[in-house]
Amino acid sequence: MKIALTGNPNSGKTTLFNSITGKIEHVGNWAGVTVAKKEAKIKKTLNRSGQDIIAVDLPGAYSMSPFTSEESITRDFVELENPDVIVNIVDATNLNRSLFFTSQLLELDIPVVIALNKSDLLKKKRTDIDIKMLEDVLGCPIVETVSTKSGRNGLSNLINKVIEVSGSKQEPPFIPVDVDLSNINSVEKSDIKRFDFIKDLVERAENRSYKSSLHNYQDGIDKVVANRWLGIPIFALIMWGVFSISQTHLGPFIADFLVGGIDSFYTFVGSILGSDVSPVLEAILLDGIIGGVGAVVGFLPLIMVLFFLLALLEDCGYMARVAVVMDRFFKRVGLSGKSIIPMVIGTGCAIPGIMATRTIKNQRQRRTTAMLTPFMPCGAKLPVIALFAGVFFDDAAWVGTSMYFLAIGIIILGALIIVRITGEKNARSFFIMELPEYRLPSFKRASISTLSRAKSFIIKAGTIILLCNATIQIMQTFNWQLQVVAEGAENTSILASIASPFAFILIPLGFGVWQLAAAAITGFIAKENVVGTLAVVYSISNFIDTDELVLISGSQDVASIMGLSSIAALSYLIFNLFTPPCFAAIGAMNSEMENSKWLWAGIGFQFGMGYAVSFLTYQVGTLILTGSFGSGFIYGLIVVLAMVSAVIYLINKGDKVSLNKNVKVA
Amino acid sequence: MSSFVETELNNLSKADINREYIIKGVESEDVELKNFLFTLGCYPGENVTVISDFKHNFVISVKDARYSIDLDLAKAIKL
Repeated sequence: MKIALTGNPNSGKTTLFNSITGKIEHVGNWAGVTVAKKEAKIKKTLNRSGQDIIAVDLPGAYSMSPFTSEESITRDFVELENPDVIVNIVDATNLNRSLFFTSQLLELDIPVVIALNKSDLLKKKRTDIDIKMLEDVLGCPIVETVSTKSGRNGLSNLINKVIEVSGSKQEPPFIPVDVDLSNINSVEKSDIKRFDFIKDLVERAENRSYKSSLHNYQDGIDKVVANRWLGIPIFALIMWGVFSISQTHLGPFIADFLVGGIDSFYTFVGSILGSDVSPVLEAILLDGIIGGVGAVVGFLPLIMVLFFLLALLEDCGYMARVAVVMDRFFKRVGLSGKSIIPMVIGTGCAIPGIMATRTIKNQRQRRTTAMLTPFMPCGAKLPVIALFAGVFFDDAAWVGTSMYFLAIGIIILGALIIVRITGEKNARSFFIMELPEYRLPSFKRASISTLSRAKSFIIKAGTIILLCNATIQIMQTFNWQLQVVAEGAENTSILASIASPFAFILIPLGFGVWQLAAAAITGFIAKENVVGTLAVVYSISNFIDTDELVLISGSQDVASIMGLSSIAALSYLIFNLFTPPCFAAIGAMNSEMENSKWLWAGIGFQFGMGYAVSFLTYQVGTLILTGSFGSGFIYGLIVVLAMVSAVIYLINKGDKVSLNKNVKVA
Repeated sequence: MSSFVETELNNLSKADINREYIIKGVESEDVELKNFLFTLGCYPGENVTVISDFKHNFVISVKDARYSIDLDLAKAIKL
């Protein structure tokens, strides 16, 4: 048996899905978190029927006529795939809007059960609903649910009802008469009648003790956080707080324990191997695998604390307000505030972020957002940020915060360039976004989401990153004649000879050595690899606790081993964050853009942007600090100027296009 | 068709805060957008209240929900 979960956006479908199936799909307190359908079996403890029930979680929709592509997934599924039962999740606090979709679902000849969700909020809002009466009029069973609660949440009742109605027939309460489906006006007239029917029904069934259109304390909060002048500083302060806690305070504190464990494991394995084992094997096992993977895993606590805090932010409803604040800026560059949602999701991982661009209606905006979302520092880039903040900038919270805002700056600049190139700078777009109610964020939900992200991080570390580090170690140990490279002749290794040509290109950016080039290259497989590869090529297994390194490597610390000035380090960090993302994210870009020209233009753009920003950071920074430009200035300047003139040429071409379009309109 | 000259209070961007109005029409060439607004309950004859005015952005209340809309959209909703 198959059941479809449908309902308005942010009615709690995915939360309910997670509760009845035990899955941990991403949830957030705003409209449009789910953009693809998800399937899973309902838990045995809830299902007494003996047969398997598959629940299908669908993106939210307001009606059967889709507005964006993810809404059409919902319509197509219920119309074409014949689910046995439709579970319609209705936000109990907004019957007036929700039941419009319900009345359409009831016409499909598939039994419907209504889950009257968020029913715990009714008491708070002093609203009574006559459920019996609603059931009688709508002709389908209604079960009160609270999907955010773990016990006494009405979910086992819901599943029992689903089993009960399966195969039965229900009479639709509202049947449109005399509608000409090919005529928009006729459809609209009928839909107005439908809304009137719902309004009349809700008026009879619902007893509200106060009007929802009155200004309340939540609107007061909005006045501050979405304020024209305060909005951005508040957002910056919140992000700084998130980084300060995860990177400067709580994160490193927890990380110290973990790193201690990895170090003892390293010593323990070393002592087991003894002195009889071949030095090559020892190097691969100790420095390649344990050292490289350990260096990456050492950052896990920092990432978990960060994800936890971001999950709390997502859960309380603040993110929708960020979209409102950003809309003003994004609109000037041809995007809309909706583009911020993929970018916020992209702080976890760029892939779901890029997928979330489906909620954007305009094709150019959607493609532009898919191209720019990977600039947002994702979870895999955090170890890189944390490493450089720790080694070169004394764990300062401003490093991470400024990388976020630099990302936003680059995104805005990028959008500006793209809108000019495509010649659509005069195109207008509308912005509308539902503002969900604020709620106290749940520690439990945030913990679950953090643990699931930590799990995939560890799996990645144990597979791709382990494999990469072992390969890097082998490539570093041998030369092309497959002989072990001698000490002092590291430049002859396979790795050095492959990475050196790339290093040459990176000289104007301040880090033209093969070790750093190799780390940047492995970053395209997975960004965590940057840290892993650096650990291997410099034989450093402990990046977190730089004090310990003094003991390990004499008076040297990580900064001097890597031989980078702080400016060059910042430039390297920027290069790794703002060049193209990992291959998996590029794949996601490909599928969402649906156009190879856009894809290649996007990758080229990301490279150019990363190169130019790091070039400027290194050269200008060096000029300020030392009074002269850094190495390779002229050479780099030529490259950057060539890229800039190419962009200017394309912009001019685009301006002509938009001029022509204007003439046509006039 | 009505003229595009904006008189006092003919669209939502000119509305008083916290006062209930009745929507007279939604003027947009974008049919899908009109349909979308319709499904939210934003259509002629329905009530709308402006909750906050952030100059570039408005918070409105339609059918027991809050939405943030931009200035262009506010101008398209006629009162």
